[in-house]
Amino acid sequence: MNPYVLTIFLLSLGLGTTLTFASSHWLLAWMGLEINTLAIIPLMAQQHHPRAVEATTKYFLTQATAAAVILFATTLNAWSTGEWAIHQMSSPATITIIMLALSLKLGLAPTHFWLPEVLQGLNLTTGLILSTWQKLAPFALLLQISPALNSHLLITIGLLSTFVGGWGGLNQTQLRKILAYSSIAHLGWMVMIVKFAPSLTLLSLLIYILMTTTAFLTFKTLSSTTMNILATSWTKTPVITALAALALLSLGGLPPLTGFMPKWLILQELVKQQLPLLATLAALSALLSLYFYLRLCYAMALTSSPNTLTALLPWRLTQNTNPLLLSATSMFSLMLLPLTPTIMTLLTY
Amino acid sequence: MTPVHFSFTSTFILGLMGLAFHRTHLLSALLCLEGMMLSLFIALSLWTLQLEATAYSAAPMLLLAFSACEASVGLALLVATARTHGTDHLQSLNLLQC
Amino acid sequence: MLKILIPTLMLFPTTWLVPSKQLWVTTTAQSLIIALASLSWLKWTSEAGWTSSNSLLATDPLSTPLLVLTCWLLPLMIIASQNHISPEPINRQRTYISLLISLQLFLILAFSATEIIMFYVMFEATLIPTLIIITRWGNQVERLNAGTYFLFYTLAGSLPLLVALLVIQTDTGTLSMLTLQYSRPPMDPSWSNTMWWAACLLAFLVKMPLYGMHLWLPKAHVEAPIAGSMVLAAVLLKLGGYGMMRIMFMLTPLTKELAYPFIILALWGIIMTGSICLRQTDLKSLIAYSSVSHMGLVAAGILIQTPWGFTGALILMIAHGLASSALFCLANTNYERTHSRTMLLARGLQMILPLMGTWWFLANLANLALPPLPNLMGELMIIVSTFNWSYWTLILTGLGTLITASYSLYMFLMTQRGPLPNHMIALEPSHTREHLLMTLHLAPLLLLILKPELITGWCF
Repeated sequence: MNPYVLTIFLLSLGLGTTLTFASSHWLLAWMGLEINTLAIIPLMAQQHHPRAVEATTKYFLTQATAAAVILFATTLNAWSTGEWAIHQMSSPATITIIMLALSLKLGLAPTHFWLPEVLQGLNLTTGLILSTWQKLAPFALLLQISPALNSHLLITIGLLSTFVGGWGGLNQTQLRKILAYSSIAHLGWMVMIVKFAPSLTLLSLLIYILMTTTAFLTFKTLSSTTMNILATSWTKTPVITALAALALLSLGGLPPLTGFMPKWLILQELVKQQLPLLATLAALSALLSLYFYLRLCYAMALTSSPNTLTALLPWRLTQNTNPLLLSATSMFSLMLLPLTPTIMTLLTY
Repeated sequence: MTPVHFSFTSTFILGLMGLAFHRTHLLSALLCLEGMMLSLFIALSLWTLQLEATAYSAAPMLLLAFSACEASVGLALLVATARTHGTDHLQSLNLLQC
Repeated sequence: MLKILIPTLMLFPTTWLVPSKQLWVTTTAQSLIIALASLSWLKWTSEAGWTSSNSLLATDPLSTPLLVLTCWLLPLMIIASQNHISPEPINRQRTYISLLISLQLFLILAFSATEIIMFYVMFEATLIPTLIIITRWGNQVERLNAGTYFLFYTLAGSLPLLVALLVIQTDTGTLSMLTLQYSRPPMDPSWSNTMWWAACLLAFLVKMPLYGMHLWLPKAHVEAPIAGSMVLAAVLLKLGGYGMMRIMFMLTPLTKELAYPFIILALWGIIMTGSICLRQTDLKSLIAYSSVSHMGLVAAGILIQTPWGFTGALILMIAHGLASSALFCLANTNYERTHSRTMLLARGLQMILPLMGTWWFLANLANLALPPLPNLMGELMIIVSTFNWSYWTLILTGLGTLITASYSLYMFLMTQRGPLPNHMIALEPSHTREHLLMTLHLAPLLLLILKPELITGWCF
């Protein structure tokens, strides 16, 4: 793609999200979402092959529908109350419709079916944008309307997402689909807590973005999209493979790693809200996700798969990717747990 | 519920139902999407008229502009799908299924 | 506390910076120095119950023996792994040693934490190094299955524990072990409190492991490399017993009735796993099941909650840690020579490795609790306290002791006596390293006969 065009698309991608962040008016927020969607579509379809086009079409249909439904609900709200401000939603029907539309936009459980398929059709860089940056704008809206939301709905969606995310990933061998299901499960955790402690949602979103960036960048460095390719990657970059195995366990939420922090704090908040049963269920659903992360670790670092002798010493051209981002995010996704109080203080508002 | 309210709501819901349940051609999906956007346009412009809120008179135009962009992107994707898959049947978009 | 922790942390640079020729020597020496320094915890001066305390870490008579055992085990693990890891590339050797060190670090933090949630985090943190040791350096294909079992049994048990701990934190506002026994009011046996009680204990009972939740243990032991088996048998299982003793205080009014099924299961497990040992063909699996059986006794001793039960449990944990680790080392010396764990294929070894035969004899005697050894002291105290609880338990515990003796004898006779198969005539002689390893295992056990107060916990 022409670098000028690419710059324009990236800038308007940023503009869309920023517009949604900055707006207090539903129409402007909707425009931000639309700009965002329209800007990423050429990026998704830049390789003109059937899978990319198919993924783009599916993404476009879901996102356009979700955005239209959001605008429809806000119009209804404006017809009945004359109010366009985001944080002053009062009518429960419209806010429920908005929540469902946002969950369609994010890929949460009852409406998650598009996410694995879309992510499977993209290259890893665009997939990274899709599963990190594209989540920000809907979450900004979700955080703003969170006080008026119905907690039963949120908990149902959240718990369903964690289970579906864990369950769906069990049978996958494609890395991007696994990451999509992991995204569903993580977003479920965030949505479960959004009414009780919005700052925790923000924290888990941040940590999730860090960890998933590590995963995507690692897979990009190893240029692998299936578990089979991952299994032979130990000959190429042993250090990255070893660290990535730990980063995957961190995504699964094993204790001394960063991924445990959001889970721990969310469970604590749920217990504080007198919901210990829900907390137990959510914690046990994390085991489902952990199983496929563990399988990835097995394939990647804990077994050395048999290779032909020539494949043990592959020819490599010099990498032109900058390792700085990958090393920084992997350090963050492994080591942040002792800094929990500091990070909580930063994010509490 | 006033008749106006009822008419644009039912138009929107009809469009949404068509998009959700009538999954044959990509073109029909795009038409349903366009129908939804147009019903929103009507709703917004009538809201502006009814409240005589001049500050909002630009809102329907903005919406229309965005929906035109969206429709053009949809048509571009229709062309791309037709070139890669040879058809615009939604059933044929099955390369990525699990 | 820091005089142990900082040298342990400094073992990482040692491991990665020393020249490859001196790698094993240097790490062994440094970890042995740490182990010797840790003995200073045993000098007991405080009257208040806790010493060496800072704001997060402290030791008391319950945790000190386990801490010293942890520190003592690291040099032994390094010595034991030397033979089968040194042929690997140097970076992998270093990674392996780093994993062992990180395991020791997490274990020290777990045993000396004064906050239960920190204990929990460190308890879980030991999973990752152990998992990597088992699945990366194990030998057979089944190691992956074993790793999965190990991780998921432990996590499925301990995630409810996390929620239960958070409930306590919300109710009382603190999880400090120093004050927890005073802060929680007695509870009525309602349905939710019963669930809470089960959640508190289940994680530790899975880790112990209690009979019925023990399936992960033989798999993990059989598949793990020698250092993994050693640390699993010697220290990781004791995390369960330690955690139970710590958390028992909060559960007092409920445990009296609710513990019945678990005590019965533990005592029944002694007999069942002992009987499994009697018909076992796999040497490491036999030792693993014998661990389950001994740990059943420990679980019963803790669950009846008498001072004698606690003391016996602690003594048995320490003694069993040393004895079973020694047995695993002996099994590994066999494995490194015959490359098989099947007992039928390696018989009559006494003829060919006579000194090793002596070590086998001593370690087996320790395992079946010969009179002056601390193993007997622990078992006897637990048996007495269960007898005091109910006369009928004597049938189970007595039968358990008998079975323990018979399978130890079976193991000794199968490996050491009998005709020597022809394929084993050209075995490598035993190394000084292996004799040193056995000495370092059994010497503490013998010395503890002279001063058992060190490991009696709160009651001496």
